[in-house]
Amino acid sequence: MFAISLREFKSLFQSIRAIIIIIVLFGVTAGSAKLVSQFKSELSRLGLGDNAYIIGLMLLLFLAAPLFVTSISHSSVNKEMESKTIRFLATKTSRENIIFGKFLGNMSFWVVCLTVALLLIIPFSKSFYFVDLIQSIIFVSYFIGLSLFLSTLVNNSSMTMFSGIVISIALPVIGMWSLLSKNVIVDTISYLTPYFYYTNENTSYTYLVLIHTAAFVILSLIIFKRRDL
Amino acid sequence: MLALRATNLTKQYGSKIVVNNLNLEIKKGSIFGFLGQNGAGKSTFINMITGLIRPTSGSFEILGATSDSLKDVRTRIGVLPDYSTFYENFTALDHLKYFSKVLGLKLTTDELKEVLRDVQLEDAMNTKTKNYSFGMKKKLGIAQALINKPDILFLDEPTSGVDANSILGIHTLIRKVANEGTTIFLTSHNLDEVEKLCTEIAIMNKGTIQTRGTMDELRKQHQKSITVYVKHGMINNEVQHKVENDLSKTMRVLGVSSTHSEFIVQNERDIPELNKYLVSQNMSVYRLEVEEASLEEIFLNLGVERTA
Repeated sequence: MFAISLREFKSLFQSIRAIIIIIVLFGVTAGSAKLVSQFKSELSRLGLGDNAYIIGLMLLLFLAAPLFVTSISHSSVNKEMESKTIRFLATKTSRENIIFGKFLGNMSFWVVCLTVALLLIIPFSKSFYFVDLIQSIIFVSYFIGLSLFLSTLVNNSSMTMFSGIVISIALPVIGMWSLLSKNVIVDTISYLTPYFYYTNENTSYTYLVLIHTAAFVILSLIIFKRRDL
Repeated sequence: MLALRATNLTKQYGSKIVVNNLNLEIKKGSIFGFLGQNGAGKSTFINMITGLIRPTSGSFEILGATSDSLKDVRTRIGVLPDYSTFYENFTALDHLKYFSKVLGLKLTTDELKEVLRDVQLEDAMNTKTKNYSFGMKKKLGIAQALINKPDILFLDEPTSGVDANSILGIHTLIRKVANEGTTIFLTSHNLDEVEKLCTEIAIMNKGTIQTRGTMDELRKQHQKSITVYVKHGMINNEVQHKVENDLSKTMRVLGVSSTHSEFIVQNERDIPELNKYLVSQNMSVYRLEVEEASLEEIFLNLGVERTA
């Protein structure tokens, strides 16, 4: 499992798309933190305090994390099924190890990226936002789980790219819409998105998103175990 | 001791039955050849046994593990799947390092290089596989199947697309691995290869095993005729005609000349009778050679089209 996750982790850093995402992520985080540091006293008066430093990162994650994650992780399983490299893995280790390895590899990539992004804020804020790091990791884990699920469910990697983009646009829209709407359907769907939990006043709700992540991973495993490779 | 046992193994895609209630037992240490035309179900059978595809029904045991506990013996199995590609930006050595880690093995680079040397890939071990020929990829496929020194090795078409020199190398390697105690399960379209290498052979047709046994057993079961070549002392035209006339009543006479003759008999029991008749005609029989049926003839006698 760890060999698979390490390979997945390394290969993510080698893709052009991932490099662009890292640059955007670090650029926006550091840029916004620098901007905020210039209005420190004003923000303090508004009661935003130190959390203002991570506004850029959080806003970026809220709006673009689905797109970021699905664009680089949409084909983690089906690409190997298309190329048949999965056959070498499946004859050497269990399918559980393949799915968990892929998930862990993707998670590790984002844990490193988000940690570094938050480290970039330290020169401005003089503190490390550990709780925010955990919450942003949980938020991203939802989309990693979703991408893994799509990649296992749909055989064609072009199709998962397309469906990933559609979902990446739809989910934030539904999430934000549900904040303003009283529509029962939109409200119900919003429970399935992380936005409902992340816009709730009670921040401990954010940890419930992990249930979604676990559900996606378990569903991926069930599907993958039934697949002929 | 059995290395593999399949019981009523079936694979069905929609209404198409690819493997049909297949029963098979393979002894430990044997080189088992699996033959059949394209679509006979050979690769599907291997894919089921190695966990790549799920059987529709039936069960199997491999090295004592059932289909449900296959993960317990995975490190003791080597597989060259029928169709697979490699990570394009990995070298051969990168692949073996990665696969050995996936298997949970702690092999040194020297040990992995040794495996690549065995498949004659040592000169290209640091070349990215996107630059490999089909034959080189096949060799790397064999190498990755050998890194764990498996107790049972499945080779699906190991020499297809490989040059003649390399084929000889692969045959030597297969014999070496078998001599070390590994059970080998081999499918091939190359009938000569199967005949030369395998201790036991099964011929599959339309999802079932049509016949199986050692080469001698298959000949006994399916050889329809035996060609007998006789080198004898000089005989004149008169004797030649008499021999031809007399023997053509009981067997097919391919030719009778002054110093050698050729006949086709139906079974082994006719050979001593033939010899007795020739001696009775005062012919000095110097040499009597029997041409046994090749696997190809048996294959054709069974009515299985050779598609390779």
